[in-house]
Amino acid sequence: MLTYDVLIVGSGGAGLYAALKSRIEEDLQVAVLTKVYPTRSHTSAAQGGVNAALANKDSTDTWEQHWFDTVKGSDYLADQDAAELMCREAPEVIREMEQWGCPFDRTSEGKIAQRPFGGASKPRACYAADKIGHVMLHTLYEQGLRHGVNYFNEWVTLSLLHNGQRCLGVNALDTRTGKLHTIHAKAVILATGGYGRVYWNRTSNAYGNTGDGAALAYRAGLPLKDMEFVQFHPTGLRRTGILMSEGARGEGAYLLNALGERFMSRYAPEKMELGPRDLISRAIETEVREGRGGPDGEVFLDLTHLSRERILQRLPQIRQLCIDFEGIDPIEEPIPIKPTAHYSMGGIHTDMNGVSPIEGIYAAGEAGCVSVHGANRLGGNSLLDILVFGRRAGNHALEYARTHDFQPMIINPLEIAEKRIQNLMVGESQETTAGIRRDMGNLMSEKAGIYRVGNDLKEAVAQLAVLKERYKRLKVQDKSKIFNTELVAALELENLLDLAEIISQGALERTESRGAHYREDFPERDDKNWLKHTMATKGTDGRPEITFEPVTISRFQPEKRTY
Amino acid sequence: MSEKITPTREKILANIRIQRFTPDKDRTPYFDNFKVEVETGMTVLEALRYIKNNQDSSLTFRSFCRSAICGSCAVRVNADPLLACSTQLLPIIKDFGKSSVTITPMANLPILRDLVVDIDPVIEKLAKMHPYLMKNKARIPETLAQESLMSQQELNQFGQLTDCILCAACFSICSAVKVDKTYAGPLSFAKAYRFSVDPRDSFRGMRIQASMDQGLWSCVQCRKCIKVCPKDIRPADSIRDMRRIAIDDGIHDTPGSRRAKAYTDDVEKFGQVNKPMLPVIVNGTQGWTAIEAAEVGLKKHGLEPTREVCKLPGQSGAATIYKKVREIEKQEKNV
Repeated sequence: MLTYDVLIVGSGGAGLYAALKSRIEEDLQVAVLTKVYPTRSHTSAAQGGVNAALANKDSTDTWEQHWFDTVKGSDYLADQDAAELMCREAPEVIREMEQWGCPFDRTSEGKIAQRPFGGASKPRACYAADKIGHVMLHTLYEQGLRHGVNYFNEWVTLSLLHNGQRCLGVNALDTRTGKLHTIHAKAVILATGGYGRVYWNRTSNAYGNTGDGAALAYRAGLPLKDMEFVQFHPTGLRRTGILMSEGARGEGAYLLNALGERFMSRYAPEKMELGPRDLISRAIETEVREGRGGPDGEVFLDLTHLSRERILQRLPQIRQLCIDFEGIDPIEEPIPIKPTAHYSMGGIHTDMNGVSPIEGIYAAGEAGCVSVHGANRLGGNSLLDILVFGRRAGNHALEYARTHDFQPMIINPLEIAEKRIQNLMVGESQETTAGIRRDMGNLMSEKAGIYRVGNDLKEAVAQLAVLKERYKRLKVQDKSKIFNTELVAALELENLLDLAEIISQGALERTESRGAHYREDFPERDDKNWLKHTMATKGTDGRPEITFEPVTISRFQPEKRTY
Repeated sequence: MSEKITPTREKILANIRIQRFTPDKDRTPYFDNFKVEVETGMTVLEALRYIKNNQDSSLTFRSFCRSAICGSCAVRVNADPLLACSTQLLPIIKDFGKSSVTITPMANLPILRDLVVDIDPVIEKLAKMHPYLMKNKARIPETLAQESLMSQQELNQFGQLTDCILCAACFSICSAVKVDKTYAGPLSFAKAYRFSVDPRDSFRGMRIQASMDQGLWSCVQCRKCIKVCPKDIRPADSIRDMRRIAIDDGIHDTPGSRRAKAYTDDVEKFGQVNKPMLPVIVNGTQGWTAIEAAEVGLKKHGLEPTREVCKLPGQSGAATIYKKVREIEKQEKNV
């Protein structure tokens, strides 16, 4: 049996930071298990920046202001002690990344450059052109190579093993050979990213952002927190959901419906296209619902009234993205866009060291939920979250693994995993992964997306039960053992269906609007009844059981969130 | 005043020809043809996914981010290595004139299945290059209370190279990899060079050695890696620059560096390369065998061999140019 002191599942920023920290003194055996190659992970897609109050650009910036911005941005659902810790540690982790070679852009004094970001009171987003996530991920991978982190590339984790008190390890599938393995580990850190793919085609997320870690933890009896909070970005490309940054609207782009109307005049007559993200997303959704969208339910981001020179000079990358991914030139015609699921605020419930209720099992980054983002994440805080909490989980797991022995493995640990694979592989069926997945994505976008209302959410819950029944009949048509991507997609779909159910159930119970969660039937925030975290655990009937936990409020009393 | 927007979206029924191979089923690779309605905006990756979701769920390829930053989906389309996710299909179909396109896996790497190749050989070669920053204590503070200082100009020396997404398109097209399986490949040298010129680093010497061990002088500068890089990195330039810093660091004892040095020294001295003596300069005493064999050959044809460089009119001009270049270099160094 494969045996490691610390096993990390997921190879994005949180996972690689955790791996590096637990391996840094090279006394423990550490491995990263990832369904891709480490540098493929979705951290690489983060473009804008990572927040830290270094005060390089504005000497009056402090971590306390960053803390306040984070709490306010969260619509007061963040735990203030956790947000405090993240903002306090931010400058140190950024310096650690810098000292490992991360190529941040520089100020004229040679310090790390910082830029302003939405929702931040000071320019504190550290950046590297438009590829900060990419360079951070590569820096962590490089240092991992140096220190002897082991990698299991293109392995899919099937189940999380524990004995009720302590961690035992995982079962996993090596996709290259089709073989199943149990990996015995003292500590397992789940760093598998978000679950934006619940909305399938309507997300900016990578194909693989299927919430695997959260689903593994849920099925292993661990609680998930605040899963109903999913941030939508208003301007994703029609076909792919790839983001058109706010820079375009900053340069004067119009939002037009299919009738050619600048519809924001109906929703935000003063700010027009520069209103807050959630408001614009809802405005677009309304236009489409009322029949003023394009043939694919899109609206248009129009640059054509700007001069060719201005577009070439100020928005060259946006133009290139349109040409490469949508096949149109925004100098000539309006860009078709749709709001797109962007970030998962919820995740596996952990403490500030990433520890879950079971000793030795950790979660970090978008997979986990401490919570620092509450109901709505601030731009530039997602990369910070993965650094601070990936690092803390790695440090904690290092100490834990040094001071604890391996627990005896259960008898025949692979049995359940083998059955699961066999159920999918043996036999024929009319159901396909692509079909169920498409229906799930459409259902979630329509009933549990940007606009939510009680009856729709009830419908979503009911329909998800139907989809889960269909899933039970699903068979993988590709019978090869070698690199079976259809099998992997089927396994991911099972994870998505569990999470979709939890999102819908949580959204149904939360009868208020807060941050990214907008209930048409309850449009106001309700601090009296709902200033609390949603906790979902798997009930004995297989359905999510929802309970609530208090929010930690240490300094900032909730106020109305206005910008 | 508003005008209705009616987007123009074209559709063409195309034949997509894809190389298939499943090792536990097939003895050799073969081609499958799929009919797909290709429309405006459709990328190569979308077409592959369309086929997988609707026509043949066993079609196997890699994809992840869909936004040209993860490097998973590199394949060859009509023999050109490229990222499937950021390549529009319609213009290729129209360009080809036959409403047909051929998709094959990347070259120079073992095929695992269909369009999926094993990229471990690339990563293993990269790992030998010490592809990580080793702290230069003169530049990096001892604690995390401070960041190290670096100017934007210093960063610009290597900033572009950090765009590499390890897609291995350059490895697939590389002429040197094709003939020499031990050759590191363009991206590994680009990475080695990136760290070697980072002022925060202290491991340049080891990286130069690793580069020489993995064929630094084998690159023939065909520059195809530059052409195919989806991130506009110039690996061939990095290889050239890596050779230069190797020579600057006093490493003159490899055939390649001796050749490069002989070229520059000869041109300064004679205004041309001393071709008759080049084999000895590059390969040492072994070179005499080559020279003697060549001389025998010439004599057979009644030609008198020479070991002297012939005199050219105006050959001192080269020396003047060299002098000028050295002056400029000196000035640049002082700035």
